[in-house]
Amino acid sequence: MSTNIGQAVNEFNQQVAAVSLWADAWRRLRKNRMALLGLWVVGAFAIITLAAPILPIYDYTSQEMTHINLPPSLKSAGSIAIQKVEKRIVELKGLVDGGREDLRPEMDKIRAELESVKADVAKNPKSSKVYLLGTDYLGRDMLARTIYGGRISMMVGIIGTITAVLIGIIIGAIAGYAGGRLDNFLMRIVDIIYGLPYMLIVIILMAMFHKDGASSIVILFVAIALVSWLTIARVVRGQIISLKNAEFIEAARSMGAGTGRIIFRHLIPNTLGVIIIFATLSLPSFIMSESFLSFLGLGVSAPAASWGTLVSEGVQGMELYPWRLLVPALAMTIFLFAMNFLGDGLRVALDPQSKNRT
Amino acid sequence: MTEEVILRVKDLRTYFKTDEGTVKAVDGVSFDLHKGETLGIVGESGSGKSVTNLSIINMIPSPPGKIVGGEVLFMDADLLAMPANKIREIRGNKISMIFQDPMTSLNPFLRISTQMTETIILHQGLGKDEAKAKAIEMLKLAGIPAPEKRIDQYPHQFSGGMRQRVMIAMSLSCNPEILIADEPTSALDVTIQAQILDLMKDLTARLGTAVILITHSLGVVAGMCDTLCVMYAGRVVERGATDAVFADPKHPYTQGLIKSVPRLDVASGNRLSSIRGQPPNVIDLPDCCPFYPRCDKAMDICKRKYPAVSRFDDGRSVACWLYSEEKLP
Amino acid sequence: MTKFIIRRLLSLIPTMFVIVTLSFFLIRFAPGGPFSAEKKVPAQVLQNLMKKYHMDESLGRQYLRYFGEILRGDLGPSFRYKDMTVNALIKQSMPNSMLLGTLSLALAVALGIAVGIVSALKQNKWQDYTAMSLAVVGISVPLFVIGPLLQLVFAMQLKWLPTSGWITDRAGLKTLIMPVITLSFPYFAYIARMSRASILEVLRSDYVRTARAKGLKESTVIGKHVLKGALLPIVSYLGPAFSGIITGSIVVETIFLVPGVGKIFVQSALNRDYTLIMGEVIVYSLILIVMNFVVDIVYGFLDPRIAYK
Ligand SMILES: Nc1ncnc2c1ncn2[C@@H]1O[C@H](COP(=O)(O)OP(=O)(O)O)[C@@H](O)[C@H]1O
Ligand SMILES: [Mg+2]
Repeated sequence: MSTNIGQAVNEFNQQVAAVSLWADAWRRLRKNRMALLGLWVVGAFAIITLAAPILPIYDYTSQEMTHINLPPSLKSAGSIAIQKVEKRIVELKGLVDGGREDLRPEMDKIRAELESVKADVAKNPKSSKVYLLGTDYLGRDMLARTIYGGRISMMVGIIGTITAVLIGIIIGAIAGYAGGRLDNFLMRIVDIIYGLPYMLIVIILMAMFHKDGASSIVILFVAIALVSWLTIARVVRGQIISLKNAEFIEAARSMGAGTGRIIFRHLIPNTLGVIIIFATLSLPSFIMSESFLSFLGLGVSAPAASWGTLVSEGVQGMELYPWRLLVPALAMTIFLFAMNFLGDGLRVALDPQSKNRT
Repeated sequence: MTEEVILRVKDLRTYFKTDEGTVKAVDGVSFDLHKGETLGIVGESGSGKSVTNLSIINMIPSPPGKIVGGEVLFMDADLLAMPANKIREIRGNKISMIFQDPMTSLNPFLRISTQMTETIILHQGLGKDEAKAKAIEMLKLAGIPAPEKRIDQYPHQFSGGMRQRVMIAMSLSCNPEILIADEPTSALDVTIQAQILDLMKDLTARLGTAVILITHSLGVVAGMCDTLCVMYAGRVVERGATDAVFADPKHPYTQGLIKSVPRLDVASGNRLSSIRGQPPNVIDLPDCCPFYPRCDKAMDICKRKYPAVSRFDDGRSVACWLYSEEKLP
Repeated sequence: MTKFIIRRLLSLIPTMFVIVTLSFFLIRFAPGGPFSAEKKVPAQVLQNLMKKYHMDESLGRQYLRYFGEILRGDLGPSFRYKDMTVNALIKQSMPNSMLLGTLSLALAVALGIAVGIVSALKQNKWQDYTAMSLAVVGISVPLFVIGPLLQLVFAMQLKWLPTSGWITDRAGLKTLIMPVITLSFPYFAYIARMSRASILEVLRSDYVRTARAKGLKESTVIGKHVLKGALLPIVSYLGPAFSGIITGSIVVETIFLVPGVGKIFVQSALNRDYTLIMGEVIVYSLILIVMNFVVDIVYGFLDPRIAYK
């Protein structure tokens, strides 16, 4: 502690805290164990979903009618099938040995069946497939579907956030910087849209333009982004107004910098902290919105699937095949947990007002 | 001012555990307060003045703070060792406080009447109506016009100066032995500061209340206080009668402070001297005089050990190696 | 005061106006709507439709007519359910949704505040950690995961509660339990976190320090000085919470087969029953706007610093 090379130290060997906002924020974030864990989990999810095409997983669309509704297992689908028959035989044998002679023909029949199952398994190369997280009602691999579902959910979240942030920054910056009538007008619009029930508008847009295939995802982006830039616009506007009269802006202006230049070179970097906080908090909320729509059948359409679609499919047979619900639900929940912890951590780390809080 | 000591602070230590390390906000503070005396505590911001006084009535927010040592004897009872219900009978009753920012020190959601009478009812056992009458009387004493009407208003309907008057009225309503005023005028307009100080001086003199006046302005101390403690980095560096300290400051820090006060009787044109450098933060300070980097008279020993307190015949005490008997190599 | 209320009421008009206008043009021009060219409808039917919706008039007159009808509270016929008006459909289902929504909001507020207070007063103790972990679950886990999980555990495995249905069924009031818990959970979580944070902030405030310095008992400090200021933000959160409850009830009604507006809303969206969708959106918006308005007024009454002048 006493010989911190490269770090500013005063006469008392105390570290001088003249570090930048970002270094300071990072230092605080690193101390927050839950936020760090969140960061790691989010990072792991991001890597897995990005690398999905090169991961050794099955195709998430390929259906295997002989493998429907298999539970999670480390064994191959073939050996699960054989095991199932063998188990039945052992059961029957127990009954027969206990005096139920009437079940003997049944047992023999199934014994014969076992042979044919074994033959099938040996013949069919697909029997060697291992479904770590089970399969769904069409015999699709839940692992692959969950990973690809995450890909779509996260994509919606990221693109939605970026669009919302961009629109929000531009409108907020214009309103805040221009002030006067334009500001009034833009903020009236924001107020009015705020008054509208956000999710209902998205549902209407989805209902109107919802078609099959990839275009529905695009519509979804547009619908979510169209109604979600409001908060960021307000925040950016507020920040800009409070910064507008700050000294360093005056300095830049007196040195002949133009309006646009001032906004983008000076004001935006100053509002970046707030924007980051909002982005991390809105990413999970976009994911929730998308899943919400997909759950209602108004989101992405087959064969693409998001976490919401998977959960909604899982609900159908959850009594008999609970893993179909639990696997995507758990994946989604863990991700949202991680995002929330990360978002909270970032908020504490980046909020200058919390600087001296203990 | 009599010789009877009503408050004796002995070697008070209050530390805060923070992420960065242990903040020794108050580290061995001692002083006596006599009946009816006005004691000034001066020092730069962060020197531990507020923490000292919150420690006296055992109101340090914990965690992160903790009073790790010392005694506070009020009429021979140690306030720091008292159970919670006993010290509550003293707070607001025998020892009351006024804080720096009158805009935030009153509860914005409650009427002045509610906030004033609750203290009176609690400590004096008066009924509601009597308490209200007493509150109105106190407001009148504090110079609030039309107190009968004003008492039913909310704090936001008062200006800053008026709110501080309300605070003064409230804090004196139970006729306390000691009034602790923590920078009572720092947040006010200069024109109002003098009025508030005059009011305090006048009322406490009339009621015979001893005052601990925290301030960072030596001018205020000169006008108000009988005795004076100068604090630096959590310690009292110099203590003595106000006149004596002003006439002959001994600690280099006190000397610097007094030199930096603008004086009307000395020809202007000379630049005001100010103490160079920044006060240290009080986290994990090594054993040394915390003032040495800013001190003109720093010696080798100052970097290695905190000076012991030297006492003088006139009751002054100074913590500085310049006056230490104990000469180390 | 009355002036403020009137001003506030007037400011609601543009929002309602936008909603009604939007809904008119959506119904009129939406792809896949009754008037789009997409559909092959027999000529006779089309003619009837045209007449019924006054397609022979100019667009402006149609708009005015539509506006007038809505002002009179007539939301028109449903496109899908031939014999039903939108008014009838909403009237049928609204009480159920209102019951579900109000119960959930009440539960969320009552429990949220209680848990928030305990959490704040026991900061960093096990009570706080338990409550805040629960709150994180409520905020992170979507309704449509919580609902089915509750069904799976309490209806299918433990068989304590009916899987779905409504109070008019045989299971009666028991059918309310899971939908209300599911719907209130996220808002309970938000309110618990908010009230905790807000109480902790007020506890650090100067005026609470003053109250303590006056020698008040801790229970008096909390009850008299802390709670009012700390819980005011909860009042202003009620507007957004109500809006969220409305949206959430769409999912919850779908999961638990509650015969409410939300369920019809999903149906109408999937069917592209535009008049029904828009009728519902207008009603929802009206409720929200009125709710926000009421919250504002109540807030003004509770906070003495706000003077309506
Ligand atoms: N709640 C707290 N947590 C951490 N440190 C504190 C707290 N309160 C005070 N301190 C520290 O104690 C030191 C003395 O503060 P204070 O007594 O308020 O100074 P002042 O002389 O300006 O009144 C400062 O360094 C401050 O940072
Ligand atoms: Mg202070």
